[in-house]
Amino acid sequence: MTQQKSERIMNLAICLLMSRRFVEKAHIREVVEGYHGLSDAAFERTFERDKDELRHLGVPVETGSNDPLFPDDVGYRILRAAFELPAIEFTPAETAALGLAASVWESATQAGRTVSALAKLRAAGVDPDPTRLSAFAPSVGAREPAFPGIWAAYAERAPISFGYRGEVRRVEPWAMTSRRGAWYLLGHDRGRDAPRVFKVARVDGVATRIGKPGSYRLPEDLDVAKAWRSLEPAASDETALLALRDGRANDLRRGGSPEPDVQPVPPGYQAYRVGYARPGDFAAELCARGADVLVLAPDTLRQAVITRLEAVAGPTDERGAEA
Amino acid sequence: MNTSADQVIRLLSLVPYLQRNPDADLTETAARFGVSSEQLVEDLNVLWYCGLPGGLPGDLIEIDMDALEGSGRIRLSNADYLARPMRFTPDEALSLLVALRAVRELTGPSDTDGVDSALAKLESATPAADATPAVTVASGDEHVRAALAAAIDARGLVEFDYTDSGLESSVPKVAPVKLIVRDGYGYLQAWSLERRDWRTYRLDRIGTVRPAKGRRPRLGEPPDFGAGWLELRPDAATVTLRLAPEAGWITEYYPTLAVRPGESAVEVDLLVADPAWLRSLLLRLGPGVLAVSPPEAAADARQAAEDALRAYRAG
Repeated sequence: MTQQKSERIMNLAICLLMSRRFVEKAHIREVVEGYHGLSDAAFERTFERDKDELRHLGVPVETGSNDPLFPDDVGYRILRAAFELPAIEFTPAETAALGLAASVWESATQAGRTVSALAKLRAAGVDPDPTRLSAFAPSVGAREPAFPGIWAAYAERAPISFGYRGEVRRVEPWAMTSRRGAWYLLGHDRGRDAPRVFKVARVDGVATRIGKPGSYRLPEDLDVAKAWRSLEPAASDETALLALRDGRANDLRRGGSPEPDVQPVPPGYQAYRVGYARPGDFAAELCARGADVLVLAPDTLRQAVITRLEAVAGPTDERGAEA
Repeated sequence: MNTSADQVIRLLSLVPYLQRNPDADLTETAARFGVSSEQLVEDLNVLWYCGLPGGLPGDLIEIDMDALEGSGRIRLSNADYLARPMRFTPDEALSLLVALRAVRELTGPSDTDGVDSALAKLESATPAADATPAVTVASGDEHVRAALAAAIDARGLVEFDYTDSGLESSVPKVAPVKLIVRDGYGYLQAWSLERRDWRTYRLDRIGTVRPAKGRRPRLGEPPDFGAGWLELRPDAATVTLRLAPEAGWITEYYPTLAVRPGESAVEVDLLVADPAWLRSLLLRLGPGVLAVSPPEAAADARQAAEDALRAYRAG
């Protein structure tokens, strides 16, 4: 039963925490009431499970011997310094930020973990203040079906495998990021023996564990920020001359510079020079604005836009170009 | 994680919390730990049997059960050895860091320092701090957010240059109430004075924000901007697109009702609340759209493409 199990594990934790020496199994069986009345085999099984569960919760249960001459006489202990949250002081500006944190996650599991982390801070005397930044309601979602398994593997450093674009990939998770509502995983791809970034939404089904937690190390010189920069749009290295209809396309205007001397420009339009990186994406972006934006130069971009517009205008239109 | 594991984690925080907050209120404490009052009473009943090894009466944690049952106050004692909470588990620490990074994506420059220093302190207490998760929200310019946040706090009115999802420009005049995030994009929730209704504006489409004159109307609570807000718009219509593989990316960027992958094309059902949004999407996808159903849904985009081609021929 849950209550009895919780009680037994709590008493085991207190017993191991209170002792400076390693506590031997026979002694634990004697002093922790939850182990009374069990057969030898049942005690062994229950104790091993409880000990593993404490470790799974993050409680640092150490194994060792008190006597160097008899290293096989093992016992267990929890070192207080490794167990307790170190003292952290927070300023009012910081507790205001913490006060918003509890309501950010849309995923119930991660919301629970955040509340649990905040409860530990409260238990250490920190008072997260949700009122000061009440104008803000940030949120993070995680609706990708593969997210929970990949996140847990990332947190515990457990290698996983999953289907991705029709291939099975074996990956050691290194880091994750949420960008504009989509989750990405950075990890070592064992098959390719190289780092790779995966979009979690593109993972087929869910990930399967292929190794134990903590069974790999992150590289010493890991530059996570650099990997994430590859997901950002490339810096603009080309410029286009565009005719922008008056009062329209203000966002392009903000990112460009006016070219009042360029001629000819259709009446009701002004010429602007605007930077861009990928010609294909930029042509699509300009098409979305219809007749509000006309490309003057370069000619390749102008032709790309016209070709795309013709595809939308459809074959029924004679276009009368030859008339 | 099973319920016993969750309970043990909670108990290890409850004992130091209750010693630090003598005479704590049952309901308030339950809310802070994210559980029901009934669950918290069960937790206390477990702690009642916990204590120093040996299990003699003086060794057990003491809880004043009369105060608990009589007035909903929690008085716990005889647990000096659990005066501090446990360290964060990796999952807890990473979840909290993500939450704070999301906060940082929405606040303006004046609040960023507090978030950054809180993040730095938490990272120092985090296992696996060398690869903590990053968060990016499309939340526009930090000075825009700061101006809006200041107007919200001052209960003022503002106007700003806005480009909507159909790429139309306007200068809305609004009473701002909240900055929110949905699906990775930041929004302003505000009362529109022209439309006399609640509106949301994407932060990355807001240009310069200026204070506006006028009296702020008395406002009730804004409508809930829940996770399914887009799907719930009553005026939305279903449109089906048949897409070539190069246009399939839209299923990862826009909420879809259904996606039916095929051999050489994918069929996608979209909920369209704004015809201008569909027009700009079809223009953007160009030859990637193989068919639109119902066909008249594509009429706006076809007309816009013909207008643009005419302008090219004239130029």
